[in-house]
Amino acid sequence: MVGTWYVIVSFMLIAYITLDGRNFGAGTLHYIVARTPEERQQVIAALGPLWSWHEVWLVGFGGTLLLAFPRLMASAFAGYYLALFLILWSLVLRGVSIEVRSHIDDRLWQSFWDFVFIASNLLLAMLFGVAAGNLIRGVPLDGNESFSFAFFTDFRVRGNVGLLDWYTVSIAVFTVVMLAAHGATYLMLKTEGAVHDRSAAWAKFLWAAVLPLFLAISAESWVVRPDLFAHAFHHPICWLGLLLLLASIVMLMSGLSRNKEGRAFIASNLLLGSILGTGAATIFPVMLYSTLHSENSLTAYSVAASRGTLLIASTWWPIGLALTIIYAVFISRGYAGRVSAKGDTQGSY
Amino acid sequence: MSSNLSDPAFWSRLQFGFTITYHYLFPQLTMGLAWFLVYWKWRALRTGDERYNKAVRFWAKIFGLNFSVGVVTGIPLEFQFGTNWAGFSKYASGVVGQTLAMEGMFAFFLESAFVGALIWGEKRLGPRLHFLAAIAVAVGSWLSGYFILVTNAFMQHPVGYKIEAGGSLGIASLNSYLLNPWALIEFAHNQMAALVTGSFVVAAVGAFYSLRGLHRTQAQLYLRAGTRIALLASLLVAFPTGDQQAKMVGKHQPVTLAAMEGKFQGGSKAGVALVGQPNVDARRLDNPIEVPGALSFLAYGHFGSYVHGLEDFPQNTWPDNVELLYYSFHLMITLGTLFIVLMAFANFQNWRGRLESCSCLLWVLMLAFPFPYIGNTLGWMTAELGRQPWLIYDIFHTHDGYSKVVSGGNVVFTIIGFVGLYFVLGLLFLYLVGREISHGPEQAITMEKEESELVFAGR
Repeated sequence: MVGTWYVIVSFMLIAYITLDGRNFGAGTLHYIVARTPEERQQVIAALGPLWSWHEVWLVGFGGTLLLAFPRLMASAFAGYYLALFLILWSLVLRGVSIEVRSHIDDRLWQSFWDFVFIASNLLLAMLFGVAAGNLIRGVPLDGNESFSFAFFTDFRVRGNVGLLDWYTVSIAVFTVVMLAAHGATYLMLKTEGAVHDRSAAWAKFLWAAVLPLFLAISAESWVVRPDLFAHAFHHPICWLGLLLLLASIVMLMSGLSRNKEGRAFIASNLLLGSILGTGAATIFPVMLYSTLHSENSLTAYSVAASRGTLLIASTWWPIGLALTIIYAVFISRGYAGRVSAKGDTQGSY
Repeated sequence: MSSNLSDPAFWSRLQFGFTITYHYLFPQLTMGLAWFLVYWKWRALRTGDERYNKAVRFWAKIFGLNFSVGVVTGIPLEFQFGTNWAGFSKYASGVVGQTLAMEGMFAFFLESAFVGALIWGEKRLGPRLHFLAAIAVAVGSWLSGYFILVTNAFMQHPVGYKIEAGGSLGIASLNSYLLNPWALIEFAHNQMAALVTGSFVVAAVGAFYSLRGLHRTQAQLYLRAGTRIALLASLLVAFPTGDQQAKMVGKHQPVTLAAMEGKFQGGSKAGVALVGQPNVDARRLDNPIEVPGALSFLAYGHFGSYVHGLEDFPQNTWPDNVELLYYSFHLMITLGTLFIVLMAFANFQNWRGRLESCSCLLWVLMLAFPFPYIGNTLGWMTAELGRQPWLIYDIFHTHDGYSKVVSGGNVVFTIIGFVGLYFVLGLLFLYLVGREISHGPEQAITMEKEESELVFAGR
């Protein structure tokens, strides 16, 4: 039961990151792939109508986490206090920038909101990267399931760590590059004209950069948490994740080289999903690792809700998921097609 | 509320109170407006009358702005369960986690999936599917309200729970939790109040256009639909829903009712104070003007019924801010009564065929729209201040719920951040909604004009 809910919670988070990740990535590349006001309008229109649909997956994740692993949420969210509020504020600014930008057809107004759009998305990509780095490296958990730490201490990865150190910062850099690649792949699929061509070129370049960076952070992770690799080696599910990762790399390369853009975007999602999924499988059952004493670590079993709670939730959750899949199909049909720089086919954005 | 300003629990309460009050300014309009959109879309389908479609297009834009601000200000609330209220999350999430997760899965996904279709999908979807999108958004927004109110009702009147082995709460009966009688009444009361906000805003825009002499047919549509629904909803807010809600409080939280009424000494034939200022130190109501026996009758059905006073209970179980609770409740009742009077008069004028010609009434209708927001906020302050000093009534103390590891300084910092951010957000929202209203429902024409002006200006 606990394992099942670990999968469900991981799924919700991965779904959120792959859905909203395209916005983070497209935001990061906004100035680069779109040079004229019309082109910038085109990028916003390619994301615009769907941003709130993507963002509510974070709410879905938060609710599911509170339901299934309440003591993890209590411990981690209180511990990451300031970093989490930075994420929340960035989310507010990001949503507002998309929403209000197109309401007024004025260059100054739109340039300002373009800047907010880029800054907030870039910050979100970095902060989620830092969060992922913290999950792997661990946090200074005491024996009472709680911790609170500074933004940085001595930039070392053991003992009394801070939010930022050489490892979590490098994971953040990797995340920014990978989500930018993901966003470029999405823009390539959703746009035409100059934005499309630049996005296609950037997608190839960035994905080519992701591969060596991935090997680099894997090596770093081996230095920080050697135990994880030994753990993964003995669990077939991690091998399966790696296999999916390799398959999606092949699919992505074939999609990019043959200009099959739909295929490339599906592969981009699978690649993101398999990296995050393999990560989730590798750290299981530990959900929050203690850098002070490994026996302080919080495992899924120790922080999960009671079996009764999870059983009740298991009765209604699949219905919710089935409905959500129906909406997702409706959305992907409703918003199919490309956005051009001139005629705005997707609505008033 | 503790007067100790370095108490982190105080700051966490203030932060949650501020962020949720601000957030709820937006959903109360979308929940009210959603059914106007459904109704007009339905009329357009039935009659083929283009003015209904125009109304839907115009109000869908205002809806969209509200919805967006509602989404971005809603996310911080869920996260505060972990960041600021870790103690509460650990203790109660076995129960409240169910409805908070359900809200995401059943309500938010539905609403956010179809809101884009409602605002931008008219041509793409065709009239029937567009009508369905309007229904999906309305149902989604009301479902979302229901799940949140079930969660709140549990905190007011816990039912269907059990104590698990580790000492935390779990569900004993999902049905009795989801169908908590408190939740049903609270939902009815709250949704009617949201409809009051929606209909007052619709009527106010109609009054504005009428006074300006703009968009005559649209103005008439908004005024008539707005005032009709406003009268109906204002009546339903008071009776039966508000009445039943107060009886519920009298039955399950008698000390709260005493504080709401500023009643320090208990007694039969208890009166309702029309005017009066609670003086907690002297334990009396200063300068009271009372209707004798009214409280006994309203709360328990007989003029002779005994109504508890605060002094019947130990002081550590009193709501910790009696004064604010008293004023919240009394101002809410006053506003609710004025809403009924105003809208009864507006409907009377409409019946006489003089609604659009009575400029004095139009001025009042135009300026009245902020008051339902105030009324809704006061209602929630009554509910939440009245619940104190408990986080979950009678079983979990507020002081046990906050995050012990988060220092007061961190919370003060994030409050300052929210105040600044939300101030800017509020200005932007008002400016953009004002712009939409000044563009008006005939926007297709306005936009063309604007574009030709831009071309003319050499762009």
